[in-house]
Formats: sequence, C-alpha cells, structure tokens
Amino acid sequence: QWYQRRVTGERRSYVSVVKTINVFRDLICTAEWVTGRELIKIVKCYCKYLPLSQSNETDVSNVVRRILKIIREESVGPEATNSADGISAFFKTDIKPCNLGRSDLQDNILNSIVELLAELDTSKSNIVNMALEHIHSNERILTYGHSNTIRDFLLYGRKARDFEVIVCESGPSLKGHKMAAELSEGGIKTTVIADSAAFAIIHAVNKVIIGTHTIMADGALRATNGVHQVAMAAKFFSVPVIVCAPLYKLSPTHLCSYDPDAFNKVIGPEKMLNFSNANLHSKVLISNPDFDYVPSDLIELFITNTGGHAPSYLYRIISELYHPEDYDLDNMCVEDVEDEMAT
Amino acid sequence: MIGPSHLHNHSEAVVSTQSTGNFIKHTKVQVAKISPDLTESVAKEELQQSCDNFFRENIYLAGKSITEKAVERVVDGDTILIYKKSQLILHILLEAKARNKNFRVMVVDSRPDLSGVQSCERLTAAGIPCSYVYINSCTYVMKKVTKVMLAADALLANGYVLGPVGTALIGLISSTYNKPVIVCCETYKFSERVQTDSILYNELADPDSMLKTLNEEDTPVSNWRDCPNTRLVNLVYDTTPPALVSIVITEIAELPCTSAPVVLRRGAVKM
Repeated sequence: QWYQRRVTGERRSYVSVVKTINVFRDLICTAEWVTGRELIKIVKCYCKYLPLSQSNETDVSNVVRRILKIIREESVGPEATNSADGISAFFKTDIKPCNLGRSDLQDNILNSIVELLAELDTSKSNIVNMALEHIHSNERILTYGHSNTIRDFLLYGRKARDFEVIVCESGPSLKGHKMAAELSEGGIKTTVIADSAAFAIIHAVNKVIIGTHTIMADGALRATNGVHQVAMAAKFFSVPVIVCAPLYKLSPTHLCSYDPDAFNKVIGPEKMLNFSNANLHSKVLISNPDFDYVPSDLIELFITNTGGHAPSYLYRIISELYHPEDYDLDNMCVEDVEDEMAT
Repeated sequence: MIGPSHLHNHSEAVVSTQSTGNFIKHTKVQVAKISPDLTESVAKEELQQSCDNFFRENIYLAGKSITEKAVERVVDGDTILIYKKSQLILHILLEAKARNKNFRVMVVDSRPDLSGVQSCERLTAAGIPCSYVYINSCTYVMKKVTKVMLAADALLANGYVLGPVGTALIGLISSTYNKPVIVCCETYKFSERVQTDSILYNELADPDSMLKTLNEEDTPVSNWRDCPNTRLVNLVYDTTPPALVSIVITEIAELPCTSAPVVLRRGAVKM
C-alpha cells in the first residue's frame, strides 16, 4: 500500500504529493458515485486512511483540498465559477446539481487533475528561475540547514552571479553540512558555521534565504528547528528574510496552541546525547523538537511558483486555492449531516 | 634581572583573552614595582605572593561575593536557563540548592564543544532536576523558563558582553520572551576595549572539531580541505548588546551593562 512506504530523497514533498494525486485519481475512477457531492463525501472518508492524522503531513492534506476544490468547481459547472468574482460561491455551501452525467463529470475532473499535476511539476523550476531577481553580485547569503529548493535556487543564481553563502549547520541532524557540500560542488563559495554563531555573523550578511516545511495561513512558518532564532537575529539587524516554497506547502491552518503535540514533533535524542552518557538519559529531560514556529512578522517575502508575495497576501491565495468547507478535512457539510441523521 | 619586557614575550604565548590580559597587566605592574636591591629568590616569592593575592581577591573571593548576591535571585519554583558550562554559574546553582531552594535548570548546549553535558552531570549529581536542549530549540523551551543566567568572558567598556558564541542568541530570545537575563562577571574581566560586533575581534577554534559527530560518522564536508569552495568557521566568542541584558552581577555591585566604564575607572584609580 503506497501510504505505508516512507517517501525519501530528492523532491520528497513533491513525490508524496504526486503519489497522493494518483491515489485519488484511481479512487475517482473506481468508486461508486453519481453526483459531485457524493464524490466529495467519498474523498473525505478516504482521507481517514491517509497519514493525515499527523498534523505535520500538510503537503498531502493540501493537495487533497486542491482536488476537492476541483471536484466542486467541475460539479457546479463553468457558469457558476465565472459569476461575479465567485463571491456568491462563498455563500452557497451546497452544490447545485449539474446536468453533467458521471462520465462527463469524471472526464472534466480528471483533465483538471492533469493540469494540477503539470502545475506541480513546474512549481520548483518556477521558483528557481526567479533567483536572478533576488541575488546580486558579491552578496553574502545566509541559509539554514538543507533544502532542495534553496540549493537549486542558489545554484541557478551562480550561473550568472558571483556570491557567497553561509550555511548554518543545523544541529543535531547536521543537514547544513550536506547543503554546504552540494553548494560548493556547484561552484559557490560556502562557509559552514555553528548555529550558535548566527547572531555573530548576521549583521555582515545581506539576506537570509530559507526553505520551509509548511506555510501557515497567516504567513507564519513551520520550519526546521532553529530557524526562528535566525529570523529573530535577522530582524534585529534588519536583514531581510526570504522564504522560497511551492504553494502546495501553503496550508489553511493556524497555530492554535504551542502544545508540542498540536504543532511540533519531538524526535529521538540519540543525535544530541549518545548512549555513552546513558546515566544522564535517565535523569535529564532531553528535548529534540523537529520543527520551529516562525511568526509572519519576521518574514519579508515569500517566493512561490506563482511569483513573489508578501506574507499579508497569503490569505487571498488561500481563498483561491481551497474551498472554505475543506479547511477542516474532517468536516462534513450541512446537507450530508442531515442525510446521516435522517437515515 | 627580569623586567616587564621579558614577560611580554611569554604573555604573547598565553592565549590572550581579555581576562588573562588584565592579569598580565597586573603582573607587569608588580614586576616593575619590585625594588632592585631584593635578591632573586625573595623577589620571586613576592611576585608569587602578589599572583596569589590577585587570584584570591579577584577570582576566589569575588566568586563567593557574586554567588551570595546571585543566590538571592533564585526563588522557589524557578526554571533557570544556563548556557554551556561555567564554573561560576554552576557554583551559584549548587549553592542555591544547598540552601534548599526548589528550582529546575534548563541547560542549553551547542556544538561543537558540547560542554553543557558536564553541567548536566554536575547538576544531576547535586540532585537538581535538569533539562537539556541544543541552542536550536531555545525558542521551543523559552516559555517555561523564568530566568536566564549567563557567564561572561569579558565586559567591554561600551557595555557589550563578550561570552561564548551563542550567548547573544540566548540574550535575544530571552529579551523577546521578556525573561530577565542575569550576567555574572568578576571585575577583573572588565575591559577598556570597545566593540560593536562579534567579528572584528574574535578567535577561531579548530575547524575540524565541527566535523565531530556523536557516533563518529563522517559528515558530507569531512573532506573540506580538499574542496576549494568550502570553509569551516568555528567562532569562539560573540558580543551581546547591552539592550539584551537586564543586569550584571559583579562582586562590588549589581549594575546595568552600561556602568562598565564606571567600574573600570574605579579599578584604574585603585591600581
């Protein structure tokens, strides 16, 4: 079963997103449904089988929301989607039954999904091609840990510009070392520093360019552990922080609580304190959180596959990408609840 | 006859941090004060005596005085954040425990030297409950912290605190979350130098120590010396701006950072 295999390696998030789309394509073709509303119900029920219960796997849940939006749009038909800026669509939570039969509706949905796949395929190259607008010669750029998108962004910039990169090693996983090795192979002068030295060198840096795991609805980030303090140091010295991420990482969720279980994920501490210090393991509480929350006021710019956006604009993009009823994937719409109660 | 210039060559060989710099200055003055008609052995004895006095007054007794003042700041129910290993801070915490105060310690550590592990060992041996994180997780734990106690390697004349690299980050995070930052520093560490950033005057430690991982694996940059584009920089110190520090506890008084030149002036008059 595909969702039991862990996805790793190059373009990890993109690969898992594509696999999700393929699973739902099969579902749309094989499941029994007649109207768009029934299909949406089936898709939402199927979500329970996916690793969405872990609130961290936002790429997968975001793409499911995109698919649901496609289904809704195709069910309502082209007239409704073109009407008055779609404002009326906000007030109509039910879906008007369309004249299209199942096979026509299914064809339309599958065509839109193919377009979605094409958009996702080019998402990385769209971001990378903007490198020359944001990097100029003789700059010093600070980055944190490892990110495939940022690596390709910087290597693309290297083709035309000469600049230096300082990489924070991002302990305890030391992913920054891998990033530095890849960048220097690509011909960029790279310096590796310890995370603790971020404040010391940041005033001498021109900009901070980082990737992220998830973008929250208000423009905040769920990023690698340690990014928050680099962003704080950058703010102290007024160094701009630029985040490069494709839009499937944009999630219509907010930070509701700082509770570790709700937002963060704590992983094993063997990389921090190995078992030769076993006597300490039992007496000391060791925390190794995987993620970091970075508030949106510390971020200057988001570079996404649709261009550059300020953090304050992301709410608009969310309203275009996802339907409000799908923000909470466990949520069933009013008519379905009434149906359930009637039977 | 040994004079102050002879000492100069030797003092260059010693790792000249600011605190040892003050000690060397003190010793040179003592050497110059010795009257020439004393025999060599008596002169040596006098010098040794003055060195011992310096240690006793400025380090040992100063440490005790700072401990007395700092222990009063520890109250029951505190969670105190400390950074890496400092003899003075550990002494304060152990003394507070000896006075039956009920508190927790959050030890923040960072690569490559990871000296916070030794802090953990000493604190748990004394029965103080500890938590341990790397500096990346400092923002994650800062909510639960009530006070931050840091040690300084030097206090510069413009109020900047010179400490082990990472101190500035902790100062920044603590002041953002509105936690009091207490810096403990003996007066012999005060310096007349002024600095506004950490890079102009710093030390570089062995870059290969950054390659050390806990399970002895190689990292992707292990062959960095063969790659012309890769550099490893292992900074030793960084400077914390005075705005990020709440109070400095010295043996003579508890001061704001900006009173450093007042202490220096007082010390110059004494010498």
